[in-house]
Amino acid sequence: MNARRPVLLDLRDLSKSFTARVGLRSAKVSAVDGVSLALRQGGTLGVVGESGCGKSTLARLVVGLIAPDAGEVVFDGTRMPAGQKRPRRVVRDMQMVFQDPHSALNPRATIGEAVGFPLRVQGTPRREVSERVDEVLTQVGLHGNYRSYYPHQLSGGQRQRVNIARALALRPKLVVLDESVSALDKSIQAQILDLLRTLQDTYDLTYLFISHDLNVVEYMSDEVAVMYLGHVVETCSAHDLYRRPLHPYTKVLLASIPKIDPRQRSTERNLASGEIPSPIDPPSGCRFRTRCPFATDHCSAVRPEPVEVEPGHWVACHLYPSPGTVVEPPRRLDATY
Amino acid sequence: MAVQAFSAQPVKPTREEHDMTAAISVPDGATVEELRAAWWEADHGADARPFWTEVGRRFVANKAGVAALVFLLLLTSSAVFAPWIVRADPLVGVATDRLLPPFSPGHLLGTDEQGREMLARLVYGGRLSLATGFVPTAFATFIGTCIGVWAGYKRGISGTILMRTMDMLYAFPAILLAIAIGASLGAGALNSMIAVTIVFIPPIARIAESATRQVAIQEYLEASRLSGAGTLRILRTQVLPNVANQILVYASGLVGVAMLIAAGLSFLGLGSQPPTPEWGYMLNSLRDTIYSAPLLTVLPGLMIFLTSVAFNTASDALREAMDMRLA
Amino acid sequence: MVSLIIRRAAMTLPILFGVTIIVFLLMMVLPGDPAQSFLAEDATAAERDRIRAELGLDRPLPIQYATWLADTVRADFGFSPFRRRSVSSLLAQAWWNTAVLAAASAVVGLAGGVLLGTAAALRRGRLLDKVISFVALTGLSVPSFFIAVVLLIVFSANLGWLPSAGTGMDQGFGTFLKHLVMPMIAGSLGTLAITARVTRASVIDTYGADFVQTLRAKGMSQSQLLGHVAKNAISPVLTTSGLQIGNLLGGAVLIETIFRWPGIGTLVYNAITSRDLLVVQGATLVIALTFVLMNLIVDVAQATIDPRLRQAVH
Repeated sequence: MNARRPVLLDLRDLSKSFTARVGLRSAKVSAVDGVSLALRQGGTLGVVGESGCGKSTLARLVVGLIAPDAGEVVFDGTRMPAGQKRPRRVVRDMQMVFQDPHSALNPRATIGEAVGFPLRVQGTPRREVSERVDEVLTQVGLHGNYRSYYPHQLSGGQRQRVNIARALALRPKLVVLDESVSALDKSIQAQILDLLRTLQDTYDLTYLFISHDLNVVEYMSDEVAVMYLGHVVETCSAHDLYRRPLHPYTKVLLASIPKIDPRQRSTERNLASGEIPSPIDPPSGCRFRTRCPFATDHCSAVRPEPVEVEPGHWVACHLYPSPGTVVEPPRRLDATY
Repeated sequence: MAVQAFSAQPVKPTREEHDMTAAISVPDGATVEELRAAWWEADHGADARPFWTEVGRRFVANKAGVAALVFLLLLTSSAVFAPWIVRADPLVGVATDRLLPPFSPGHLLGTDEQGREMLARLVYGGRLSLATGFVPTAFATFIGTCIGVWAGYKRGISGTILMRTMDMLYAFPAILLAIAIGASLGAGALNSMIAVTIVFIPPIARIAESATRQVAIQEYLEASRLSGAGTLRILRTQVLPNVANQILVYASGLVGVAMLIAAGLSFLGLGSQPPTPEWGYMLNSLRDTIYSAPLLTVLPGLMIFLTSVAFNTASDALREAMDMRLA
Repeated sequence: MVSLIIRRAAMTLPILFGVTIIVFLLMMVLPGDPAQSFLAEDATAAERDRIRAELGLDRPLPIQYATWLADTVRADFGFSPFRRRSVSSLLAQAWWNTAVLAAASAVVGLAGGVLLGTAAALRRGRLLDKVISFVALTGLSVPSFFIAVVLLIVFSANLGWLPSAGTGMDQGFGTFLKHLVMPMIAGSLGTLAITARVTRASVIDTYGADFVQTLRAKGMSQSQLLGHVAKNAISPVLTTSGLQIGNLLGGAVLIETIFRWPGIGTLVYNAITSRDLLVVQGATLVIALTFVLMNLIVDVAQATIDPRLRQAVH
């Protein structure tokens, strides 16, 4: 539905690795490796994957909390300078809602101070700060007089709404939501998700929605990117992800969702064997090959490039060799769905 | 049945887990307007006191802590208002009235080896002795906090150099380092306070650094960086308020120690110079009279001891009062 | 075990290096001219310059430090103009006396502290616990030099039971012990108090651990149980004991002065009074080195007892 709207955020070949200490030696941890994604104005891109797959690093690369080793972030047509302070306009246009409602608010600052902080840093006059704080608090359904409360006096759901209010205070275009509902109870999750959707419609917000929870991602997103060990393995519409998963890893992820109806439960076990490998010295070629039932020698030698298997459906897997040729997914797995 | 056995303990939500928004009932598919209305309806706010009110309430409940605090307040005010409390001159003695025992007529606590009134000297001596407790601790807290917060937030080369320097100072026994610094600076009350300040900077910097490291990984710090705030602003508004309590509790325990070390320095002749009264120095100058007037010798030592006990007790009480998981 | 010792020892090297730098800077950079102690009050500027050149004080700091360090490594701490002896010979004799006193205080303080702390933990909440806890808090707050003076008043001045000065080392073991008692008690009280507090907390903590419950459930007797608890509770006690050795060594300056015990403390006291800075410098360095080495020993001992600490890099 957003197909014709302009691209707001364009990630080109982003890579980031960290140095970790293993004993006395230091090792490279590849957190994000060659990720390219595009996000259109007003849309929601969901990023899904197991913990440790580089989702949070990706979020921090996008908003500029960490600088990429390679690749670039293009926002609203402008290339972001790597490793330097971003222009004020971009700071205002890009905000983030963090994962942990306990840790994302300064325990020694009142709600009003927390929400007003970005405004004051950006030089908004005191009077306007106060008005704007009231306004955004109301938008997330909090009484204006909550401004004098401290975070510990609020419930988890309330705190997460304050976090959203803080992100909205500067009237951003893009909001990065990093596991923003994961720490909440299911019932409150639903309330917060509804709030986020309404806010998106009202203020024409663009979301980068990061979560490990497939159900939540499908509910929120227009498009979904599946990440595994720093690589994007599959990109498609949220609708297709559930109905036509192509990458073996995506199938594993979907199969791991508990089903209520016993008839839908997977009869296949051990679709993928073993644990997720350490991001220190990740497997060569396709990083999923160590757990993939279809892995061949080719998989360890060559990293698969993303291929548009169907319109708008990209997969990085050697099972889908060339563009245009629709390959039926392997039968053994298909029986599951 | 086995399952029953495992869930025998009732699950009671803690204050942290108790979620107000969970209490509202909104039908599935409700509009956000309805949701907001329900939130407003259910929001009465938590009934919690401000942090320092709560700390004060808990401190007051601790009888030993209150007694220690009252003692310290009395001591401080008597030192400050010394001229209004004792009439005798602490610096000038009467040669004929030397070493009078306590409870002598006209001299409640007797006189010292130069015939000066002990009560006056003890009250006036409190000025310098209490100052040697507070002043070095205050300065060391300020400098140590700056070093520790910077090193903990910035890390990097500057932080490493700062903290390794602290480690090296830490390799000396505290009293010895104070003596060595005092000896090379020369005798004098000011120099002994400088010595104690230097000795206390490393431990405070260590506490400040580890507290800052804990804060540095919190998401609210990332949020403040995301707002475009500069380092100094982040340190002032986000880091300092969150490390101040830990440092404060630790520093409060150092006041008594500072006084002990400073008294030790004056005892060695490195602190206050005669005739200015100071408890450590008084204890030393009366040392030769233990055979003739033992009770007099004990008095200044007793003052140091009682004040130190009071500081330690008050510090313990403060630590307990502030030890709550609010945030 | 050997590699463990070597690794820990290697980690103390930079600290030792830092200690020498600090000791050097303390004496050279801070106001107070080391040349002063070699000069008469009415010395002329020319005389002063001559002494300064003789001592190498006119050369740049790093060179002064290198020269000084080279001398120090060869145990040459300079010459004391007041004592007319080399500083190292003064230190060697005094160090031994201080070591005897500090070791005796350490044994009494640590053993007594562990004993009292364990007793308090086993009788937790009862009268014995309350008495011991109160004594420990008092011991923590009382200045050692005050206790020393009180002991002198009671046992020397009034009762006349114990000698007030000297070591009595050359008059037989019995006399030596009589001389040792008071300085040892005064010096060990702080250590005793802190060790008792830490031991009490650690034993109570360990008794609450899950593995103790398991051992209890298996029907282990109280005395066997105490053995297991002791092995696990000793680690924090060792940690503080390392720091306590520093307090004992530093506190020695005050205690020795009062009891005229001819150790490093008395040496430092006399050097301070006569502004004999080379002696203060040498003594500071020697005590700091002793402290660092003692901490190394405690560290290795701790790693030997507690396998969890063997892996730790720091």
